Amino acid sequence: MIKIEHLSKRFGDLVVLKDITTEIKTGEVVSIIGPSGTGKSTLLRCLNRLEVPSGGSIQIDGVDILDRKTDAAKIRQKMNMVFQSFNLFAHLSVIENLTLAPIKLKGIGEEAARAKALELLRLVGLAEKADSYPDELSGGQQQRVAIARCLAMEPEIILFDEPTSALDPTMVREVLSVIRRLAKEGMTMAIVTHEMDFARDVSNRVLYMDEGIIYEEGPPEQLFENPEKEKTRAFINRVRSYTCRISSPDYDLYAMNAEIEAFCEKQILPKKTRYNLLLLVEELLQIYNPYLRTVVLEMTVAYSEKHERLELICESTGEAGNPLESPGLTDDLGVMIIRNLTENIDYQWLGGKNRLQLLMKTNLP
Amino acid sequence: MDLQTTIENQAVVVTISGRLDAVTAPAYEKSIRELIDGGNNNFVVDFEQLDYISSAGLRALLLMAKLLKEKGGQVCFASVKGNVRSVFDMSGFTGLFRTENSVAEALAALG
Repeated sequence: MIKIEHLSKRFGDLVVLKDITTEIKTGEVVSIIGPSGTGKSTLLRCLNRLEVPSGGSIQIDGVDILDRKTDAAKIRQKMNMVFQSFNLFAHLSVIENLTLAPIKLKGIGEEAARAKALELLRLVGLAEKADSYPDELSGGQQQRVAIARCLAMEPEIILFDEPTSALDPTMVREVLSVIRRLAKEGMTMAIVTHEMDFARDVSNRVLYMDEGIIYEEGPPEQLFENPEKEKTRAFINRVRSYTCRISSPDYDLYAMNAEIEAFCEKQILPKKTRYNLLLLVEELLQIYNPYLRTVVLEMTVAYSEKHERLELICESTGEAGNPLESPGLTDDLGVMIIRNLTENIDYQWLGGKNRLQLLMKTNLP
Repeated sequence: MDLQTTIENQAVVVTISGRLDAVTAPAYEKSIRELIDGGNNNFVVDFEQLDYISSAGLRALLLMAKLLKEKGGQVCFASVKGNVRSVFDMSGFTGLFRTENSVAEALAALG
């Protein structure tokens, strides 16, 4: 149905979409997820020709929609879009919002348009609000009207651009349930969303976008359970991280501590966890210290909000060898503390670097 | 780290507050060395106000015990609790040193 090949989009020097190639088949529900600023909305806007791509091609049922001769209004009838901020006409009643385009663009009679609009309002549970004005409705209700308005044009494809991100949490569910219903009825949809559970539940396929490309894609079970790539994993597990680079034995421990504490505060980690993390960091630094004249150490604190797991990853240059098993250790006090603070310690020689990964215990007394 | 000393019952009561870590442990060791070299043999270390200790701090305590042993002296720890207590427990320090609940009890234990 939709075939995208080598699509790119830049705004001046800023490359938002680098090279996007994918297909959306009839009846497919594709969710597009990824960090902010990675081009998800731009991709949808290119599909709807609200943005003109810088390169590549988009075909809908074999028609090249980037061809100047292709009628943009016709494309938008076939492929309608629901926006984050509803975009309802404030001066028109709910029913007028729904009947305007079918009457003006499709030439449908007023009575027929009104009957269809009421049917759609019933579908989204808002028939009783037909004569209300948008500012009399809640955000969730306005978004449901926007979906009904979109359906009034009988599109074959609906593009949803973060349909719930402008809503209070209490209103998210009502909008998602309408989208779920459309999915069950076989509507072809592309949905940019930050609602991970929803994306997992409603989609046939999930695209993870990062760095202006489709970084990873697959069925929701695979992408959410078993993402293959590091960045996808970090995003799915809602991993927040802080990294510092140490290349001298005269590092400033207190400056590092302050940064780690600020990171912990952001993640709202308990005081005890912060204490243990600072202790773990200091113990590791003590073990690495004799090598820091010749070795560069990168220490990453990674917290997975989803799994409530706190990890410390130490990557160091130099000769291969687990620093915790180094014969140069003066005593085993530091290692003993490290082992007590952690649930699992994994050492690997990876890509020419020593990688020590420590999973912290979270249930220490 | 802040270190204060008082003499009680012929023993030096060392009160440490703040952090005893890789940065502050050398200063602690220096002060203790000076006290021992000055002829003091009986010590109580009060941990009531200590918020943080790492293995570097523990090594400083081990050094103190070693120096005292050489001089036939003794040390007793008081008020080891909270996070500091956890570090003592995980490194096996709790059984290694005499520890009491308060300075008064520690002074009594020294005899």
